[in-house]
Formats: sequence, C-alpha cells, structure tokens
Amino acid sequence: MALFRFLPQLDPVGGLLTLQRELERVFETPLGVDLGPSGRGVFPAVNVFSNPDGYVIRMEVPGIAPEQIGIECSGRTLTVRGKREVAPPAGGSFHRRERGGGEFSRSLQLPADLDLSRAEASCKHGVLTVRVPKKEEAKPRQITVKAA
Amino acid sequence: MTTQELGVHDKQELKSQEATRPGRAYVPDVDIYETSEGLWLWADMPGVDEKSISIDLTDNVLTLEGQVSLKDYENLAPVYTEYNVGNYVRRFTLSSEIDGDRISARMTNGVLELSLPKSERAKPRRIPITTS
Repeated sequence: MALFRFLPQLDPVGGLLTLQRELERVFETPLGVDLGPSGRGVFPAVNVFSNPDGYVIRMEVPGIAPEQIGIECSGRTLTVRGKREVAPPAGGSFHRRERGGGEFSRSLQLPADLDLSRAEASCKHGVLTVRVPKKEEAKPRQITVKAA
Repeated sequence: MTTQELGVHDKQELKSQEATRPGRAYVPDVDIYETSEGLWLWADMPGVDEKSISIDLTDNVLTLEGQVSLKDYENLAPVYTEYNVGNYVRRFTLSSEIDGDRISARMTNGVLELSLPKSERAKPRRIPITTS
C-alpha cells in the first residue's frame, strides 16, 4: 500500500483529492488487514489508517462530548461505547429527522503486533482518534554491519 | 415520540452543481424541528470547527458550508475505510416567516445548531372571544 503524504501548505487541492482517491481505492479492495467482520452501517463509522508508528483509528462521533465516550481494551479487541442524546426542546415537531440517537458500542479486532496498553485517544470536533502504537519488537530496526 | 435509530448510511455526495471550492462535498445529516417560537436545525458535521463553517442566508435560501481540515491526515495510509472525508454543503429554502436578523448558530462537538426565530407576524396568536 502506498504511503501518501499531504503537503497542504503547498497544494491543498491535491491533498484533498489524493485522500479521496486513496479512500475510494480502499473501498474497492476492502480489508487490507483482517479486522474481523465488517461493520459497515453500524454507528460510528470507522476509518483505520497506518503510519510507521502504528495505527490511527478515526470514528465520526458528532454530538457526543469526549467525556461521554468510553474506550476499553481487552486482548486484541478495542471497544468504543457511548450514548448520543438527540433531545429537542419540548412542544414542537420534526420536519426532518435524519440524525439518530441512542447508545452505541463498536469493537475492532486489531493486529497482534500493536500495543493496546499504550493506546491514546482524543476527540475533537466530533471526530474520535485512537492512536495505537506498534510493539517495540514489531518496529523496523536498523542492523549495523560490523567489519569482521 | 419515536426516536430515530442510531446508524450510519453512506455519505451522499453533492453532485448537482459545480462548486466554487475544489474537492468533494457531502450532504450532512440534518434534523429540523419547529416550535411556536421558531425553527431549530441541527447538522452533523464531524471534523468541522467553529471557524471553518459558513452560514449564509440570501433570498430565503439558507446555505450551510463546513470545511474539513486535512492536517490530521498527513502521512497516513488507509487500511480499512467506511467513510469518505470531505467538506459539507447543504441548502434549504426557508419561508419568509423567519426573522433573518435574529438567527443564531453554535458549534458543539461537530454538530451545528441553528436557531431560526419566527418573525413576530408569523407567530401563532390566540384570538380572544368576548361574549356580549
């Protein structure tokens, strides 16, 4: 898989288009890595990326405060739970209702070479990011060649 | 009141017109709710902060636009994806009952909340009946 780099300061248009092309390509050939059964259509939607340090998992969780999201790790499984409240003021009626509410829970099975005990999560503007680093022994290593 | 089930449907791409900005635009999920005081609108725009959103009301057409920052996607290779990342655009035609000067907006956790108060003229009024 090609690692692509964004240089938004140089070419914002190209960056956006490259990302979209890459995402579409992955759509066509899904599951580059076995993450368990696909949960497409389940809230929240998930994108998984990799970088040299490990995996970056992104979920779209609009309308959920960071403190309302619970993340659990057990073995190779990462579970994200929470509740989305959609509570309008009383005494009116809906014209359009496209946003759902309620409790959710989603689990992902991650490759064994990741170290879930060092995972870090942050949530900004309705996007949850979980960074899971690779285990030290799984990282690429340079071997110096000694003169015999 | 029945509640909408929580789920994810594929993001719908906006293709009907040529956009002024490059990149793709998606249609955000929206709730519109009416009370006697006015309309409330909520739009899911994950990844958009309060500085990257523009709300425009011209000739009763309300345009919501949200720009997504790509800075967080630098040096990342997709492994498994379920959603596309792009900007958000959606337009609504409002009735002239809305008081355009008093519209207020708020952005919390990637959800845009718009309050569109009705003009005084359009509010429901009770007409008292006097007995003679």
